[in-house]
Amino acid sequence: MKKKVSLGKTLAFVFCLLFAIIWIAPLSQSLMTSLKSEKEIKMSGYSFFPENPTFESYTDLFSTRSDSTPIMKWFINSLITSTVSTALVLIISSTSAFAYARLQFKGRNLLFGIIMATMIFPSVINLIPLYKICAALNLINTKWALILPGASGAFNIFLIRQFMLGIPKELDEAARIDGASYFQIYYKIMLPLCAPVLTVVGMFAFTGSWNDFLWPTLVISNVDKMTITPGMQILKGTYDVYPSHAMAGGIVSVIPTFVLFLFAQKYFIRGMQLQSAVKG
Amino acid sequence: MKERPKKKIDLTAYLFIAPQLILFLIFFVIPAGMGIYAAFTKWDIFSSQLPQFVGLDNFKEILTNSESTYYRFFRTGFTNTLIFVLISVPIGIVLPLLLALAINQKPFAHGFFQSLFYMPTVLSISTVILIWYYMFNKNLGLINNFFHTKVNWLGIQPYAWIAIVLVTVWWTIGTNMVIYLAALNGVNKDVLEAADVDGAGPVKKFFSIVIPSIRNQLAYTVVLTTVAQFNIYGQPLMLTNGGPNNSTNVLLMVIRDLAFPSFGGKSISGLASAMALMLGAVMILIALLQYRFVGDEE
Repeated sequence: MKKKVSLGKTLAFVFCLLFAIIWIAPLSQSLMTSLKSEKEIKMSGYSFFPENPTFESYTDLFSTRSDSTPIMKWFINSLITSTVSTALVLIISSTSAFAYARLQFKGRNLLFGIIMATMIFPSVINLIPLYKICAALNLINTKWALILPGASGAFNIFLIRQFMLGIPKELDEAARIDGASYFQIYYKIMLPLCAPVLTVVGMFAFTGSWNDFLWPTLVISNVDKMTITPGMQILKGTYDVYPSHAMAGGIVSVIPTFVLFLFAQKYFIRGMQLQSAVKG
Repeated sequence: MKERPKKKIDLTAYLFIAPQLILFLIFFVIPAGMGIYAAFTKWDIFSSQLPQFVGLDNFKEILTNSESTYYRFFRTGFTNTLIFVLISVPIGIVLPLLLALAINQKPFAHGFFQSLFYMPTVLSISTVILIWYYMFNKNLGLINNFFHTKVNWLGIQPYAWIAIVLVTVWWTIGTNMVIYLAALNGVNKDVLEAADVDGAGPVKKFFSIVIPSIRNQLAYTVVLTTVAQFNIYGQPLMLTNGGPNNSTNVLLMVIRDLAFPSFGGKSISGLASAMALMLGAVMILIALLQYRFVGDEE
């Protein structure tokens, strides 16, 4: 019995290890390349490890060398955009979820139903007119064009409302009797209790905004105002000449979402599983 | 006296939902309506002229006028997208299921494997391509140097498709894997043990116990993956730029180029909207099929 179990485990381990190598290879190769000097790459042909490791490509990211690919500017633009996006998503979807979960008003179920039904609508249909609307509102080449269109997502409202429905109603009724306003109930009772689901929604909002690719290439044409994800496409263009710099830029671009993943991966994974549980 | 507090709730409630509703109206409802209408118009989004209604002309042009360049663009784009979906979806279901089954055996370091396979899903497509582009380099790439080959990965078929699918699989399968892992956790252990006692082998157990217990998650991931892959854009754009010979020029690239021409050409947004509407319709159809499929089973 015991032998049989360990055979299964050994096979599973070998299988995982094989794929782990494929998963690690491109990541480690880019890290190694970013630690080479441009000269070494051109002179000595292929090698996995750098002969003389150097941080030159990273320090150059801050210098005038990267004027045509201002990675640090892009990084800061992305940081601001994604942080504001996340805050806005959290505020808007939690207030709205609170109303649909706890307050009585005319048209509540109809409105909620309509918003939920739109989840099935593919964004490719909106793409072209959305540009026209942002142009009409003078948002082109501003961060608002990246922040506002994604802030009203239906699925976030659904997740938070679902979580609120699981919180005992007696809590807000007691607060009502003590004379609390609905805003106080939302702010002082519901929000703290919703911390787990807000964490999940916030993390997906941040990574989603950080990783947005197609939309920013349409609404941001000014290189200095670009975010880092579309910036990577420009950086790829310099790759044939400066591979080490391109890789250093690529490594820097993943830092925020990667760090978020390291510290909160159980929330990411739970969030994914939550979605499949409610939609599947 | 009973009326007053009720009215007050109404007003407060509308204040709570207002910010979302306003953004939803401006950035979702209106563009969605415009997007559908635009498919039946002639329209240049960079001019101040209003779209001009032309009925079904755009659809006729794209679907039946074989003389037209746009007919060819649409055909190529749609066929290429379909090829990608047909290759990448089965792999995107089977491989994460196998990895989930392996990790579910709890081998040494299974926690590490789970994190590693999931990790690329938090990266952006452009960074993923930047990282992989170097791997495919003919002379300096790891792949050719490891296998001692001189394959022109991104310039010749079928290698270009292999490269695009490989990168996509690497980037995306973590999502399905963690969904399957949660599902496998819910498979009834007593039933599995009873099957053991009856002498059922692992293959038999897999097909007659495991698969039926996780079929809802399977249906969900099939739809989710298919819809996601119909949206393919960044991989061919950045890896092959649609080449060689337009063989990886996918529909979203065609739509983008028509509506937002890169060198200041005229925007053909009406035709592009018609193509977008058809692509969107395919995705909605697939999503609706899931409801039918899941509904039938229960």
